[in-house]
Amino acid sequence: MGWSEGARRMLGHSPPDIVGRAVTDLLAGPEPPAGFLPLGSREWSGTAVLRHRDGHPVEFTLLVDPLLGGDGAAQGFVVTAMTGRPAESEPDRRLREWAFAQSSIALSAYPASTSPGAGAADSASPGSRQPHAVAEGDEQAPTATDEGFLRCVRRVAEDARPMRYEHFAPAPPTASARQRTWIVELWPVRDPDTGEVVGVGTAAFDSSEHHSARQRLALLNEAGTRVGTTLNVTRTAQELADLAVPRLADFVSVDLLDSVMCGEEPTPGPVDADVVLRRVAQQFSAEGAAETAVDLGETDAYPSFSPPARSLVSGQPVLSGADDPDFVRWISQDAARSALARKYGYHSIIATPLRARGTTLGVAVFLRTDGSEPFQQDDLIVAEELAGRAAVGVDNARRYTRERTNALTLQRSLLPRDLPKQAAVEAVYRYLPAGTGAGVGGDWFDVVPLSGTRVALVVGDVVGHGIHASATMGRLRTAVRTLADVDLPPDELLTHLDDLVIHLTSDDDTVDSRFRDDTGEIGATCLYAVYDPVSRVCTMASAGHIPPAVLLPDGTVSVVRLTPGPLLGVGGLPFEATELELPEGSLLAFCTDGLIEARDRDITLGLERLCEALASPVPSLEVTCDAILKALLSDSPADDVALLLARTRALHADQVAAWALPSDPAIVADARAQASRQLALWGLEDAAFVTELVVSELVTNAIRYGAVPIGLRLIRDRTLICEVSDASSTAPHLRRARTYDEGGRGLHMVAQLTQGWGTRQTATGKTIWAEQPLPVS
Amino acid sequence: MTEHRDEPTTASPAGRTHTLGLLYPPAGRNQVYTTMQLAFIGGVAESATRHGYDLLLSPAATDDDPSFRRMVGEEPAYGGPRVDGVIVMEIRREDDRVEHLAATGFPFVAIGRNHRADAVGWVDLDFAGLASGCVRHLADLGHRGIVFVNRSEQLFDSGYGFARLGDEGYTEAMTQLGLVPRAYLCGDDLASGEEVVERILLDDPMTTSMVTQNEAALEGVYRGLTRHGRSVPRDFSVVGVAASPWAEQVSPQLTAAEIPTKEMTRAAVELMVERLRKPGAPPRHVLLRPLITLRASTGPCRSVPGSEPEPEFPEFDIDF
Repeated sequence: MGWSEGARRMLGHSPPDIVGRAVTDLLAGPEPPAGFLPLGSREWSGTAVLRHRDGHPVEFTLLVDPLLGGDGAAQGFVVTAMTGRPAESEPDRRLREWAFAQSSIALSAYPASTSPGAGAADSASPGSRQPHAVAEGDEQAPTATDEGFLRCVRRVAEDARPMRYEHFAPAPPTASARQRTWIVELWPVRDPDTGEVVGVGTAAFDSSEHHSARQRLALLNEAGTRVGTTLNVTRTAQELADLAVPRLADFVSVDLLDSVMCGEEPTPGPVDADVVLRRVAQQFSAEGAAETAVDLGETDAYPSFSPPARSLVSGQPVLSGADDPDFVRWISQDAARSALARKYGYHSIIATPLRARGTTLGVAVFLRTDGSEPFQQDDLIVAEELAGRAAVGVDNARRYTRERTNALTLQRSLLPRDLPKQAAVEAVYRYLPAGTGAGVGGDWFDVVPLSGTRVALVVGDVVGHGIHASATMGRLRTAVRTLADVDLPPDELLTHLDDLVIHLTSDDDTVDSRFRDDTGEIGATCLYAVYDPVSRVCTMASAGHIPPAVLLPDGTVSVVRLTPGPLLGVGGLPFEATELELPEGSLLAFCTDGLIEARDRDITLGLERLCEALASPVPSLEVTCDAILKALLSDSPADDVALLLARTRALHADQVAAWALPSDPAIVADARAQASRQLALWGLEDAAFVTELVVSELVTNAIRYGAVPIGLRLIRDRTLICEVSDASSTAPHLRRARTYDEGGRGLHMVAQLTQGWGTRQTATGKTIWAEQPLPVS
Repeated sequence: MTEHRDEPTTASPAGRTHTLGLLYPPAGRNQVYTTMQLAFIGGVAESATRHGYDLLLSPAATDDDPSFRRMVGEEPAYGGPRVDGVIVMEIRREDDRVEHLAATGFPFVAIGRNHRADAVGWVDLDFAGLASGCVRHLADLGHRGIVFVNRSEQLFDSGYGFARLGDEGYTEAMTQLGLVPRAYLCGDDLASGEEVVERILLDDPMTTSMVTQNEAALEGVYRGLTRHGRSVPRDFSVVGVAASPWAEQVSPQLTAAEIPTKEMTRAAVELMVERLRKPGAPPRHVLLRPLITLRASTGPCRSVPGSEPEPEFPEFDIDF
């Protein structure tokens, strides 16, 4: 098609001789030079031996450039031939070629002329060279088949600016196996003469090491936010397992010392190999593979030669695997363990102790299965670091749990465990501490049996949380019990309690200001109610406490209208008692504000809800209690909650007898006879002797020292109670005295003969009572 | 119900008939026996049975009543005495039945008493003491205007013991306290109860309390008090002498001295049996003084509504 003057000089042919003849006619041998394909659109360079016009062969270096038509197909070739050596010397060229070919990094060149266009992809292969260093990963290096990479090549050719391309090999079959990554530098190659971009050079670096280092760093970084999110020991351990699988290991188990789980304080330093461990968390990479040698929550001890035991004893992480005889021995020793190891192909292990603040809490075991590489030293460091973070989290959770448990134990010890036996009401209670984070509270409740078969029902709340609130609660509860024992009427009792709180506040400067309200006092509320099953009257007084709700036997339910009263510790303001006559079987519900108040409602709405819950028909008080809590509380209440339910009983005419006595010494004998008759009616003749004596003494005292009206009352309940009341509020000088100086031996005898005796003030005077056990029937 | 039990084996009947007679008065105006009367009759029967005796009843008001005469063997056509001894219930001060029995020497015991019965055994309530106790109970509660509502004029005049004794006890207690006694007789029915309240409040509007031993009229009394705006026990206290179940059936329940029917009938039969076994033994008397059982019809004295201005809420000295 064309023949240059240079070509004539080299081969002797003149253009008219050569143009139109086949190129192959010029070749000295019958075979074309290796690798040359006269078809296609690729350029080609190489050596060929051509025949001179006079017949001798001449060696040339040929550069064949295709001439492309508009459709990209080659229409012809420009063959440039150089005699002997090319422009540079042959050794130099070879050296360069060898260096290029044997480069430790994957170098490639892509001609710019071929890009853009789909054809560019095909032209890339002949120029690329794969570095030997990564020969085994060759297929993973970026190639012309990678669309993203080719786009990048084209852009470099177009923009004439260097770029960097990051290539990820396909994810390995097991997650913890190393993923190969490449960084490919691309730069435009210019013709030094024209400055035109003639191609693109690429160099691919294996960046797998950097990548996995970055991944490890990311894992550790994530550990900071994902491990130890709660103050829960088990949850923290599980977070460690969840984080490490599948990114670090295929199976992770976390075992804690059993003593740690039991809340005991661990001893500092490494532990013995034979320590009992409890499995608290584990995680698997493969789906469905939930088989382990130790189930969650079970205990186990590792043999002393096993990697976990070695790490526990040494306090250092241990890297081991199938090449370690101890590992093999450990795995094979236990049938279940060796079966699992065979099934999943466990071959590499890291065991690292969970150590925090110098104490060993447990051990984390990381395992890799078939398809993952064995653990490397780098993995060991990561595992150790992860375990360290988890250990601190576990230790925090453990310490918190212990402190909280202590506080709750303290508070529970301050609350009644079993309600005292009494016949006035059927009572059940619930106490729920606040959800985690809020600390223990100062709610309390109590049921105090009083003389004359009456009962005191108490519910109170010390404002604030924490040990101080609980301690104050304990003091107030004790005070209430003591005052109740003196049998003070509700309003008077609260007045005394108020005084006590004021004294507590002024005495105790150590009370943290957080536990005081704005005025600097201990904020506390209390509701004190006394129910008398004989009169069926419930007398209550409130010191700023939430009023109780009452469900009458006819199904009507309401909130008891009470004078709210001032908070305890304010002082100076009166408390008012409210009397409520209740039909037998009425249900009273006392609670603290934790039950009533919530974020989404105020007291009024809360009390309405309480009334609704109280009114729904349920078979028993226990069920009612649960139903109320369920209806009013969220899963994690912000405040602690005390709920006390009391269904009233009534003593009927056949259990109570009361008489009026004139202030006449002659009546004593009649009173004795009457008491005796009543006991005969009740079938309690055995108690007649003591009762007559008691009646004689008490009635005589009332006539001698008391004031009219005088009353005598016998109550047959769980005990036999004899009461004499009169209108004088002067009580015997020494309450519960064993000797009674003023009145002779009368009360002394009563004290000797009865189970107990005492006095109480009433609205109209005082009552002296004596209680005998019922004869065993 | 637990009672003092006498084993029947220990009581070998001393007489021939192994039967006791019970004389009780004929039914009252409405021909209906009161709960209390029935309780007495039942109680005697029970006690007699326990001692191995049967009971023969006679509602004889006088000694010439044929049923009385048949019982004690004075009707020749009917043979000898049909009973070994007779218990006479609700005796009058002058009671020809008792006179007759005493005169003939027929063994008998009285529930109630009079001068004649003193010669034999009797069991009685201290009605005077009870009425007096009722007055003192009301006085202890601060009442001063205390009236007494007795049984009917007919019963009173016929000399029923407790009607007289109650009146005496009331009057004496009032006098001792320096108060003016005002006793009213009242028929044993509801209308009479309403009517007696009319009279009482007309006589003295300042009356604040009442002692009654007329249980049959009590419903009427309550009704009359309600009509006059007196609420029991807030404005008006009522205390009575009554049998137990009945006092609990009215509303408000009556604070009352209970008539211990069981106790009395048991004692009467025991006295009778004793007398039959040891005819020569000195007569025994049982006087029961039950206490006033506190129920819901009495309360502290308050001023009569409208009689004086409501007192202001007392100013307490806070300095206590």
